Amino acid sequence: MNHDILLGAEAVARGAVDAGISAAYAYPGTPSTEIFETILELDRRDGLHLHARWSANEKVALEEALGMSYAGRRALVSFKHVGLNVAADPFLNSALTGAHGGLVIAVADDPSMHSSQNEQDSRFYADFANVPCLEPSSQQEAYEMAVDAFDVSERLKMPVMLRLTTRLAHSRAVVTPRPRRAQNVAKFTDESWKWTLLPSNARKAFDELLAHQVDFQAWSQAHPANQLTVTGQGRPGIVASGIAIGYVKAALAEKLNDYNLLHIGAYPIPEASLRSLVASSSALYVFEEGYPLIERLLVGIGRDPSVPVYGRLSGLVPRAGELNADKVKRAFGLPLAAKVHVPAAVANVMQPRAPVLCEGCPHTDSYRFLNEVMAEHPGSRVMGDIGCYTLGYYAPHNGIQSCVCMGASIGMASGVVHAGLWPVVCVLGDSTFTHSGLPPLLDAIREDTDMTVMILDNSIVAMTGGQETLVGETDKIVKLVKGLGANPDHIHVLSPLPKAHEQNVALLRQEVAHRGLSVIVASRACVTYAKQIKENRRHQGLPGMVANLEGKP
Amino acid sequence: MKRDLVLCGVGGQGILSIAAVVDQAAVAAGFQVKQPEVHGMSQRGGAVHAFVRMSDGEIACDLPPDGAAEAILSVEPLEALRYVNWLAPAGVIVTDLTPVANLKNYPDSDRLYEALYSLPRVIGVDATRLARKAGSPRAQNMVVLGAAAALLPLEPERIEHHIAELFARKGEATVHTNLVAFRMGRTAAALLARLVDAGVVPLHAARVVARLDLGPEPVDGAVLIACMALASCPDAIARIDEAVGATAAMPLDAAALSKLAEPCLSRVATPA
Repeated sequence: MNHDILLGAEAVARGAVDAGISAAYAYPGTPSTEIFETILELDRRDGLHLHARWSANEKVALEEALGMSYAGRRALVSFKHVGLNVAADPFLNSALTGAHGGLVIAVADDPSMHSSQNEQDSRFYADFANVPCLEPSSQQEAYEMAVDAFDVSERLKMPVMLRLTTRLAHSRAVVTPRPRRAQNVAKFTDESWKWTLLPSNARKAFDELLAHQVDFQAWSQAHPANQLTVTGQGRPGIVASGIAIGYVKAALAEKLNDYNLLHIGAYPIPEASLRSLVASSSALYVFEEGYPLIERLLVGIGRDPSVPVYGRLSGLVPRAGELNADKVKRAFGLPLAAKVHVPAAVANVMQPRAPVLCEGCPHTDSYRFLNEVMAEHPGSRVMGDIGCYTLGYYAPHNGIQSCVCMGASIGMASGVVHAGLWPVVCVLGDSTFTHSGLPPLLDAIREDTDMTVMILDNSIVAMTGGQETLVGETDKIVKLVKGLGANPDHIHVLSPLPKAHEQNVALLRQEVAHRGLSVIVASRACVTYAKQIKENRRHQGLPGMVANLEGKP
Repeated sequence: MKRDLVLCGVGGQGILSIAAVVDQAAVAAGFQVKQPEVHGMSQRGGAVHAFVRMSDGEIACDLPPDGAAEAILSVEPLEALRYVNWLAPAGVIVTDLTPVANLKNYPDSDRLYEALYSLPRVIGVDATRLARKAGSPRAQNMVVLGAAAALLPLEPERIEHHIAELFARKGEATVHTNLVAFRMGRTAAALLARLVDAGVVPLHAARVVARLDLGPEPVDGAVLIACMALASCPDAIARIDEAVGATAAMPLDAAALSKLAEPCLSRVATPA
């Protein structure tokens, strides 16, 4: 028998399923993707009959989950930290509606930006929304907190955030599960006024939320993950949150007994514990995997300066990037372990090995004809977006000059046109397009903005490991673009194949020259996930072949 | 007892499969395990690494500190060098010697191997060729695991059990290929160790072993004697390459090897 050696992300999924969820909603994004993928797997394996399909984007995912909660059943939402920006509107408002069926939002942050465009700390969102947040420090705790989060959500009638970071989401350890609980029976909330956030209701709901904060404090103060250990009055104190506690233990070992220690794993920040730590300590060292949330509270302007506070704000710990045991050791001036002697010959041969587009990738062909046309307009720029094709920024493609957030390529291209520059092209993938490319395209259609939008349709969400797309078929993308009102004369489908290079160059050249909006769908299935695409299509009841494999519109 | 390992290579080389086998074997042997790995952007042909931390006590954190790793297991020689900061002073690098040169400035092999063997303890095997011989080039990760097996606090039989479990859903043939690959890795590493113990320069020993037609079985005495004889000849590599008519790694079977080694035999004492 194999042991359950689970990623932190997988542990969260197991916990949610064992807590009796009826649905899971998500949009793929590293390091959160495995949460939902595990739910799909458990659903299939155990015949759970959950509602579990990838959502169009994170906002939609959270809204679907809100509906599930409104109807009295439990839902897990999962996405990466920047996905919470997309879902921020329903998230902040869900604090006012509260939860009826248990509602847990699992957010995976990516400090050090292994696969992300920033390293924002989602705990600030929980604080901003005034909702409880759990931050596990191990895989087992990730599992248990996922289960508990649903209990807390139903007891406090509040959505609860479960915050992970890369190093826990993507690290494995043995997890021991508990017995599985049955799902809730669907039953509408009898407080529909709270879910109707007209100002008159919202003011009342907000007052309730504020009044409720005392209960959240009491809950977090009593939570076993928030452990205060005072080893002696007047000793230096340490605050460590989430997985930072592990680095502190590894760095200090038995020296930790000479410090007072507060570990925080449940938020709101347990104020009474923090106050006792401050009162018993000569100085405070703060270690947080992420932004300085707790440290900022401790530093507070106008506080008593006799207890100095050291952390990311003070500069003792680097402000950016993941923590590790060596950063903690440096903070305390402890010697680091000896390493193997590395002769200069090693550094002399070392080369970065950045991720690259796969061999035979359709995007490579798209960048080839795009670059050829753009070279005819020296100084022109291409607005890019988020997906495998973002790798087109690097040599040898050097095909895009921006990448900000999902769907930004179209809006930014419009802005460049508004500024009076020409020609302007933008590229984004099919899934990114349906995620958040529709509204900006609608803007561009209204103004017939003079630019060319290239939708790189590879029929899969490839960068995150091959998840199904919403439309799945090139025809549907074309219908979508037409339906939004784009001029059909300037909507084209082409096939990014080497043999079609010359005709693709000619078509793009012609559309770039057109003084109005053009949309080109470059359609060819991802080479890496060809098998997965077939499976997804069978699942959706579509024919086995991608419609425009041969480039026919 | 604790062991921290770095597992590394290029996306698609089965780094996480090595991790999965070691995880299961270590947990079954009663160790606590923490095993961080990378997903996401790196999967696209970039550098991929994972750590396996095992201990008979509590493991405080998932990420090992610099200098903690007793071994780096790499499925690509340049990648082996990327993580040397994690290697302990007496740490060992176990690596496939076959480059994946999908970079513009990939170093030429002289500079690459000079850099690799500038480190104190290196077990270099031609895992790519051995895997192909075992039945599939994709099994190169299991050759590397085999070559590192002696460094792990795990019975080889236990590791084999979990290799078989991991590949079971891919069928009997795949299980067999991966088990043979693992055993070939063990054989190659054992032979290398004997040669290095006998005083042969490690790179030289690796080049000789890389040219051998190694089976999954332990090396017999005749092969060992022939290898030691050959490896002690300054012109051994040239002699072998001349004999097999190629500069690339070519398999030499025991008989051919013995014949080739005959002129050198007087140079070495028979091993005990």
